[in-house]
Amino acid sequence: MRESPTPLSVLGPQAEAERQKIRQQFEAGTSARETLLALCDLADHHVRQIFDEVLRVQDREPEGLCLLALGGYGRRMLFPYSDLDILFLFGSERTEQEFRPLISEFSRTLWDLGFRVSSAGRTLEECKRIEEDNAEFHLALLDRRFLAGDSTLFEKLDEKVLPGSEKQARPFLLAQLHKLTRDRLTRYGNTIFHLEPNVKDSPGGMRDYQAIIWLRQLSEEKKGIRNITAAEEELCASAVDFLSATRCFLHYSNGRNDNTLTYELQEAAAARALGIGDGVARTAADWMRQYFRQARTLNRHLLRYLEQKAPVPLTLRQRLFSAARVSKYDAGDSKYFHIRDGLLEVTDLSALSDRTVTYSLFAEAAGTGTPLSREAERSIGYVLIHPELPPKNTEMCWEKLREILGSDYPGLALRPMQRLGLLTEILPEFGLIDSLVVRDFYHRYTVDEHTLRTIEHLQELADPPDERGAHFIQLWKTVDRRDLLILALLLHDVGKGMPVGNHVTGSLAALDSAAKRLRLSPEEKAEIRSLIEHHLEMSATVQRRDIFDPATVAGFAESVTNLERLQRLCLLTYADIHAVNPEALTPWKAEMLWQLFVATSNYFSRTLDRDRLHAHDEVSLLGRIKACAGDGASNEEIERFLDGFPRRYLAAHSPQEIAAHFSLYRKLSEEPVQTQVTPTQHGFALTLLTPDRPVLFATISGVLAGWGMNINKADAFANAAGIILDTFYFTDLHRTLELNPSEIARFRKCLEDVLNGKSALEPLLKGRVIRGRTPKVTVPTHINFDDSSSAHCTLLEIVTQDHPGLLYEMGSALARQGCNIEVALIDTEGHKAIDVFYLTAQGKKLTPQKQELLREVLQGTLG
Amino acid sequence: MVKLEAIIQPSRFESVKDALREIGVEGMTVTEVRGHGRQKGHTEVYRGREYTVDLLPKIKLEMVLPDNLVNRVVDTILKSAKTGKIGDGKIFLSRVDEAIRIRNEERGENAL
Repeated sequence: MRESPTPLSVLGPQAEAERQKIRQQFEAGTSARETLLALCDLADHHVRQIFDEVLRVQDREPEGLCLLALGGYGRRMLFPYSDLDILFLFGSERTEQEFRPLISEFSRTLWDLGFRVSSAGRTLEECKRIEEDNAEFHLALLDRRFLAGDSTLFEKLDEKVLPGSEKQARPFLLAQLHKLTRDRLTRYGNTIFHLEPNVKDSPGGMRDYQAIIWLRQLSEEKKGIRNITAAEEELCASAVDFLSATRCFLHYSNGRNDNTLTYELQEAAAARALGIGDGVARTAADWMRQYFRQARTLNRHLLRYLEQKAPVPLTLRQRLFSAARVSKYDAGDSKYFHIRDGLLEVTDLSALSDRTVTYSLFAEAAGTGTPLSREAERSIGYVLIHPELPPKNTEMCWEKLREILGSDYPGLALRPMQRLGLLTEILPEFGLIDSLVVRDFYHRYTVDEHTLRTIEHLQELADPPDERGAHFIQLWKTVDRRDLLILALLLHDVGKGMPVGNHVTGSLAALDSAAKRLRLSPEEKAEIRSLIEHHLEMSATVQRRDIFDPATVAGFAESVTNLERLQRLCLLTYADIHAVNPEALTPWKAEMLWQLFVATSNYFSRTLDRDRLHAHDEVSLLGRIKACAGDGASNEEIERFLDGFPRRYLAAHSPQEIAAHFSLYRKLSEEPVQTQVTPTQHGFALTLLTPDRPVLFATISGVLAGWGMNINKADAFANAAGIILDTFYFTDLHRTLELNPSEIARFRKCLEDVLNGKSALEPLLKGRVIRGRTPKVTVPTHINFDDSSSAHCTLLEIVTQDHPGLLYEMGSALARQGCNIEVALIDTEGHKAIDVFYLTAQGKKLTPQKQELLREVLQGTLG
Repeated sequence: MVKLEAIIQPSRFESVKDALREIGVEGMTVTEVRGHGRQKGHTEVYRGREYTVDLLPKIKLEMVLPDNLVNRVVDTILKSAKTGKIGDGKIFLSRVDEAIRIRNEERGENAL
């Protein structure tokens, strides 16, 4: 053996000097791509030099041995402190034995030069076999690159051995890659959002990119029919450049292969505008915004590949079955899309240039809870970015957006709409919070992600994943005008992206512009405004006030003003806390929030008659009603009509509705009973105005029951002049009114005749069997009297099993006992009727004896 | 050294925290707990369902203090957590034999 002419004492400092030079160039602004290539070339040079040296020293020829670079090194993406993945490929087991001393000398020398070698050795024969417990090795082999040694041996491997074995093992490798990737993503909570992300392993990190490359290779994606557009490819490349620069920076800053983007290093990266290249220092929050945008790009690409058809190889039996089985289609009402395998797919791609079709697709997803297939999303994306397909009907009207926002699963539409840029097209204000970082140890997600998560947490209430949501299920199910709640959520934090001191001020300004563009009614805008304005109030009350103190509850209720808003605010608060970070909504906080909701809700229903309208003070309301009511209406007349109604009347009806009521009121002089029947989303609404008289409420309920109508909700108010205004929301069980519109007039006539004493109620009721089928769910009856909540009335709260005719039965029982209903609130939750009556007898509260008697009578009636 | 555990009303937590910060006490463990002493719970009805709130929400603060700070901290908590109503909570004090900082194995009050 001969001595080495180039001692380590010379090579070592040379390699180190080269490394330092590359580092300095990187720090001076050389791109990450060039830096990685330079590091790779440096490693290649030394690997080849040392390999030649040890061959020469040991007087050997490389026949039967070659060196391959694998993984990132094979792809020429070598980070400063990454290992050199090297495969020693042997022609046979004999050559492996012979070369062993040489390899150990080679590895030791490289180590001494400062290269961390991670090596593996295989014979050509071994490379034909798939090691089922070492999929990582086979995946790394996909990036193989010849380094040194016997090139004929490499050609054999590259051209003869591996193509065959890789083809055979493709389903296995794909399945393994899916599993390894899913496991990794799960390890990091399936989210790119971490306070200190790992730029290699976290979702959205460099491993996502590596997995994309392998998935493409294994699925044999051809260049011409790539599953990615040129624009997406460009975005992906720019994300890789950004993340590569970040990873290089982390390696250099930590002096080792540590890829954690710590708080301190985020500051340092932002100060040098790392990966952005304009040299303008940024705040850490601004720079992290860039980071999350790039991570999101990579992660979305990866998920798209992962969500393609399962790569698991089918057995013959499975293949036979799937060939024999007809695909399950659900055509629905649309000819443009259908549901297949639980996903919405587009059947007519050309229709997508009509934005009405696209929005209908999103509305379908939101309404049915069926997600869009990746392919459908891609098709929409394709149409959106191709100017040769000019879009039609691009304006999203509030009616359509309402349909999406008010559905059971709005998040299923809003999430893909955000990915496709449609959300910011409809709501440009949302763009202000795109990837916006709130940099503290509490807010884990960017503001846009937080916002979308709030909505997803609400839709999860259909089937909450844990106990925290249990109380709020019914609230989500029954809340009125969900669309307003969801729009408020979409806008509630938009102000964080504005240069304003208080983000709520900014969010309200955003609402102004959005409301104008979407043409929201003043009432809709006012409701959303109130939700945004108060969006922190409920959580602040829960955490900083004694919620068991009646004064706290009264103060909070005064600020919220009505039950409907309370429901929306409670859901908003629940979602807002929940979406801050996975642990923010503790069961303790959820319970406190619920307790405050219950206390405030009870406060509203028990203090209904405390707050009566003094119409003279409601200047703006009078103006709006006057405008809606048209000519001839004087302020005095409107005041006379409104005076004395409980304030809740305003919350339950819009000014247009109030104006319509007022029109009916003006006709009372001609006809003492005024009625109006209008169709609603779930049935019909009956509005009735008439001077008060005994047994009125029971009679109206009786007529409705006689016609086979089931009352779901009702409110009964009276003004100071003794005019009652009752609204009944009912379902038409036998579809009488729906199928025979002319029957509406007959129904109204019948009701008016009974109330005017022209015909009797009893014959109507005789024709009906009031009790329906045996209910599936039994609701026990609760009867509760409360003398303390109202100054003038006794409150009767009844919760009982709902059935057609129930309200007539209760109303009659109350009338028989000489009770006058001052206010009534009727509600239904599934099979449960929840009714509150404010009662007087001869103008006074009910005596304890009367209460007891009434309890017995009601208990007997309701069972 | 003394270990202090204080059970206080959630609504007083912010004031207590601020008051302790003012006298230089920043480090503490805070736990959301439920319980009751003499302040019994109550029953609330919502839509026919009864909610018995027998365990009331409280906040538990825990901290280990050098002897010379104990009285000051106790006074501060008393002042800032007191509303005068039943349910204001309690403070428990107990002796601590040793404290060890895991990072550098410092012991005693230096480790606090």
